[in-house]
Amino acid sequence: MFMTVVGALNQGFIQTLKLFTVTLLGAIPLGLVISFGSMSRFAPLRWLTRGVIWVIRGTPLMLQLIILYYIPGRLLGYSPWGTGESGRFLASAIAFIVNYACYFSEIYRGGIQGVPVGQQEAGLVLGMTRQEIFFKVTLLQMIKRVVPPMSNEIITLVKDTSLARIISFQEVIWAGQAFMKSSHGYSGLLWPLFFTGVYYLVFNGVVTLLLGRLERKLDYFR
Amino acid sequence: MALLEVRNIEKHFGNTKVLEDISFSLEEGKALAIIGSSGSGKTTLLRCLNFLETPDAGMITVGGETLFDSENTAAFGEEAIRQKRLHFGLVFQSFHLFPQYTALENVSLAGKLREKDKGRWPILEKQGMELLERMGLADRSGHYPHQLSGGQQQRVAIARALALHPDILCFDEPTSALDPELTGEVLKVIRSLAQQRTTMIIVTHEMAFARDVADEVIFMDGGLIVEQGNAREVIENPRQERTRQFLARY
Repeated sequence: MFMTVVGALNQGFIQTLKLFTVTLLGAIPLGLVISFGSMSRFAPLRWLTRGVIWVIRGTPLMLQLIILYYIPGRLLGYSPWGTGESGRFLASAIAFIVNYACYFSEIYRGGIQGVPVGQQEAGLVLGMTRQEIFFKVTLLQMIKRVVPPMSNEIITLVKDTSLARIISFQEVIWAGQAFMKSSHGYSGLLWPLFFTGVYYLVFNGVVTLLLGRLERKLDYFR
Repeated sequence: MALLEVRNIEKHFGNTKVLEDISFSLEEGKALAIIGSSGSGKTTLLRCLNFLETPDAGMITVGGETLFDSENTAAFGEEAIRQKRLHFGLVFQSFHLFPQYTALENVSLAGKLREKDKGRWPILEKQGMELLERMGLADRSGHYPHQLSGGQQQRVAIARALALHPDILCFDEPTSALDPELTGEVLKVIRSLAQQRTTMIIVTHEMAFARDVADEVIFMDGGLIVEQGNAREVIENPRQERTRQFLARY
């Protein structure tokens, strides 16, 4: 019985990992784009970007998931996401990427603005181009500032993937919960749901170790 | 002919006039001290010379080459300015070393970025080492800025500015962020640069230092040059009432 349950949970956890990975890969660069938008010297773009960030951060991700997954279907008469698990994954991925990109963008903004202006001026006075200054001087200092708050968000993301359960994305909680009714020939099992917690705990342990290592790697300067 | 000619520089921030009709010249191998109270425009003047600020009016010429002319700003795109500002070096009040690079890397980074032939990088590093030795920092070349004292950091910053061989080296209150002990070691370095006939402009509050090391002095107040002349004469026997008032406090 244990192996059957673990097998089913593993399958769910693979979906969890997929959503986690795709969200990170999408939101890390998209966040940078949004952060540039929110710092733009062109006021309408700046206000538009900040408005979007306000809405996305100001409403629950769960609500955003439900709206994104169900409303287009209502309006169009068919679901643009396609049917089945792949459709649920696509909708979840988009909602997660946009949501997390907004959080990341604010962290980046803090990171960029936290690098003293003097660093840029020192580069300019030494005849560096703006590009050279960004890549050779500012970027690493920004990354260093951004790693601790990003770690926080990434650990939250590991757990937030479970919100996709609300549109029946078959991640690990969904897989565990299924045993309460019936799944893989077992029914009325409570412990698999609780056992999913172990997956999150172990995975976050690994994530914490990796991010901690990155933080230490950047410890050589201040 | 003078190496540096500054003619009728003006600068406003909004409605505030920060620099008004600033004109002076500087001969090669001479040191010029700029003194005056905070807010008198000294730092803005240095920043104009280094193109960190653009003057609203006036002209800047180095060695006969016009670097800035408010009558003809079209010729001064970002790339042109990047080349022109290399006539000047600038040492900041709070050093602004790059924290992720060692002392030697700080000194040689900009040179390396300009030298596409990597085969010549060892030469740049050797020159960087020699500069650090001149600053008395040979044993600190592998240290990161946070491992150095303020005085040592400022000396690395001086080496970094010298590495690009500027015609004129500018100092913006180089010792204001240092305690008196560390101030001494930085002033010693600047003094030795003056003895080696480095052309320098030094914004400073160290009056005794300005009197002994600088050839010329400019006293600024409210964005204007109130008095200029031989450093010793002006500091010891100022002619203007405002200069006297200012110097009386030292």
